[in-house]
Amino acid sequence: MKLHYLFILSFLCVLAACGKSSTAVQRVSLSLASFTENYVDVSIRLEGTDSEGYFLSAIFTPPDGYHLYSKDIPLNGVEGLGRPTLLELTEYSQIRALGVLTESVKTMEPNFEPKELLVYPSGAVTLSLPVELPAGNTWLDDTVKVTFMACSASTCKPPVTGKIVNIRVPGVDVYK
Amino acid sequence: MNKRLILLLAGFSLLACNFLFPQKVSPTLNPEISSSENEQILELDELTIVRLHRQAGDLQSMLANESKKAAALGQMPVVEFDATWCPPCLAIDSAIESRNELILSAYSGTYIIKLDVDEWGWNSGGVHNFNFDAIPVYFKLDADGNQTGEVIDGGAWGEDIPENIAPVMDEFFHGGK
Repeated sequence: MKLHYLFILSFLCVLAACGKSSTAVQRVSLSLASFTENYVDVSIRLEGTDSEGYFLSAIFTPPDGYHLYSKDIPLNGVEGLGRPTLLELTEYSQIRALGVLTESVKTMEPNFEPKELLVYPSGAVTLSLPVELPAGNTWLDDTVKVTFMACSASTCKPPVTGKIVNIRVPGVDVYK
Repeated sequence: MNKRLILLLAGFSLLACNFLFPQKVSPTLNPEISSSENEQILELDELTIVRLHRQAGDLQSMLANESKKAAALGQMPVVEFDATWCPPCLAIDSAIESRNELILSAYSGTYIIKLDVDEWGWNSGGVHNFNFDAIPVYFKLDADGNQTGEVIDGGAWGEDIPENIAPVMDEFFHGGK
């Protein structure tokens, strides 16, 4: 009988411990903004946890058969051609970058000159930036900046350069 | 001392040559947006290419004027929208500049009137009834500079190589003949 109580007590302790740990690791997955401009769908998101860190990401989806250009080409293109795909914090941003921008797919050389004009394969590209959220437990107005341009093998849509996007971000204590 | 004199004389000679026989810089197919004058950028027996600039005047009047010039040359006036940042547009220009036979044959008998979208705008930029959503794009004009309704863009061919572009554009320019 005593053993029986001990077993129930242990089981309850395990349950309590699990519950505590699940509230401690709260995964954030927020849509901060989305829009379509010059035929490219853009979705800006905040993902991550307090322990693993947070990532600001932008998913760029061009029309079928269209590709985007590497984040690493110059802002004015290579020899004036193409425009990079970028997600940037603005001068007044309250979020702080903790690392470099990474891409979800590898770039490749184009079939034409200049070969330095690196492109992503046709389809969507996600760029992610590790970030530190602003202090506090309230939500704040903020802005980010995106740049992109979609082309197919034989046509181009107009570029979008340094478009400011309004977002609302949580303070770091909101999810603690 | 003699060596110095020879070098000095050689330097002066080079300067004099440059002054007496300045190098002619032929305009390329790329636009010069700040220009207030339209440019004739290529004139072959069978193909003329001009670029119109916004500061040079009213578009419809300029198109009418260029169409008359085309008619006088026995060529078909065609408006092409392009941009400096557009790799497919550059591919066509490069093929023409390098005198690619396939492209020259396909474009023979045409009078290409180039308009840069950064200068003239897209659909929302008020470009007189030229509706398009991608470049390069070509609009045939009649003898008065009005659109005939025949339009083609780069989506009509696959990869941007002369072997793909030429047959499609040949059909567009000459298919009705």
